[in-house]
Amino acid sequence: MRLSRLSWLPVVPLLFAAAVHAQDQPRPLAIGATAPMKDVKMKSVDGKDVTLTGVAGKKGTLVVFTCNHCPWAQAWQTRVAAIGNGASAKGIGVVAINPNDPVAYPEDDFAGMQARAKMLGLKFPYVVDATSDMARAFGATRTPEAFLFDASGKLVYHGTVDDNARDQSAVTQHWLQDAVDAVIAGKDVTTAETKAFGCGIKFREKKTS
Amino acid sequence: MTSRRLLLWLGVAIAAVSIGCSKSNQEMGDTSAARATDSDMQLYPPVTPTTAEQVLARARRGDATIVNLWATWCPPCRDEMPALIRVARVHKEDRVRLVLVSVDFEDQLPAVRKFLATQGYTDTSYLKTGDDQKFINAIYPQWTGALPATLVFDRSGRQVAFWEGRADESKFEHAVIEALAANTH
Repeated sequence: MRLSRLSWLPVVPLLFAAAVHAQDQPRPLAIGATAPMKDVKMKSVDGKDVTLTGVAGKKGTLVVFTCNHCPWAQAWQTRVAAIGNGASAKGIGVVAINPNDPVAYPEDDFAGMQARAKMLGLKFPYVVDATSDMARAFGATRTPEAFLFDASGKLVYHGTVDDNARDQSAVTQHWLQDAVDAVIAGKDVTTAETKAFGCGIKFREKKTS
Repeated sequence: MTSRRLLLWLGVAIAAVSIGCSKSNQEMGDTSAARATDSDMQLYPPVTPTTAEQVLARARRGDATIVNLWATWCPPCRDEMPALIRVARVHKEDRVRLVLVSVDFEDQLPAVRKFLATQGYTDTSYLKTGDDQKFINAIYPQWTGALPATLVFDRSGRQVAFWEGRADESKFEHAVIEALAANTH
C-alpha cells in the first residue's frame, strides 16, 4: 500500500495525532501531593469497607497497588507483606489495593484476593478498587506500585519495592523499606521516585454518569 | 529372592517419589521453553541484546518505526502481538520497521524466541540489557515501566506516538499512518 498522495491532506495527521495522543495515560500523583479519593469506600478481603482516611496512620500511610496474577507482583509480594506488616506495627497505616478487572484476570477476583491475603499473612487490608478509579486518581499504571505519604499526608515516595524483583538476596537498593523507615523516623526520603517494569493495570471500563 | 524383590520395589518406589516430588517450577520466568533443545533454537528467530540508546538509534532507519516493549510474562503483550506484526507486515513496502524489545530476563531468551516463532515472526528482535530503571527512563521519561508500551517514530526519529497498554490493530494502524504522513511535512 503506497501512501505518496497524502501530502494534499494536511488535516489528516492532525486528526490522527488527536486520536493517538488522546490516550488514557494517567498522570502520576506528584511528590508533595495528598491522596485523592480519601473517603471512597473499598471492600476489604475481610468483608469490611475501608477508606484511605480510615487506614491512615499517625506516622504516615502506605498505599500499594498490587494484584494476584502479575508475575512481578508475585515476585515482590512477600516483601510487600513484610514491609507493610512492619510499617503497620510502627504507626504507618497500610493498604494494598487491587485495581484490576477480574473479568480480564480471573485470578484477581475477590476469592483469589482473600486466599492471597491469607497466604501472605497480611496484617493490613487488601481491598478492591471496584471501578479502577482509585488507580486512575493516583495515576497508577502497573502492579506493583507504591505510594507513601508522610504524617502530614503528603506524598514522599512513589515507585517500586527494590531493584531486584527476581532475587531478593541480590537487592542493593531497598527503596520502599528505606522510605518507610525515613517516614517512621520523621526524616526526609532520600530517593523519592523510582520505576520498574510491571504488568499494566487492566482498568475497568469508565462508567458514564 | 524375596529380599531382592523388596530391594527392587524399594528402588522403584524411591524413583517414583523422586520424580513426583521434583520441584514444580512456578517461579517467575522459568518455563518449559527455557529448556528448548539446540535443534529447536535453530528454528527460532534471532534475538539480540540491546541498550535503550541502540533501540532509539534504530528509530531512524525506516520511514516509520514502531518500537514495542513486551515480555513473555505479560498477557496483554502476547495478546496484541499478532495485530502488531500484521500491521508492520502490511506496511513493509512503506518502509515501516518494527523493533520488538523484550524486557524478559536474559535466561528467558529461549522462551522469547519460541514465543516469537509461534507468532510467525522471523526477523531479528531485541532483548533489553542493563539496569531496568535507567532503561525505562532512557527509552522515554514518561514511560512508567508498565507493559506493554509502544512508541512510534517518523523518518527523522521524531516520536509521534506513545502509549502504555494493549492496543488493537486499528490503533497500531493509525499511529503508522500518522508517522508516514508526518514525513511529507
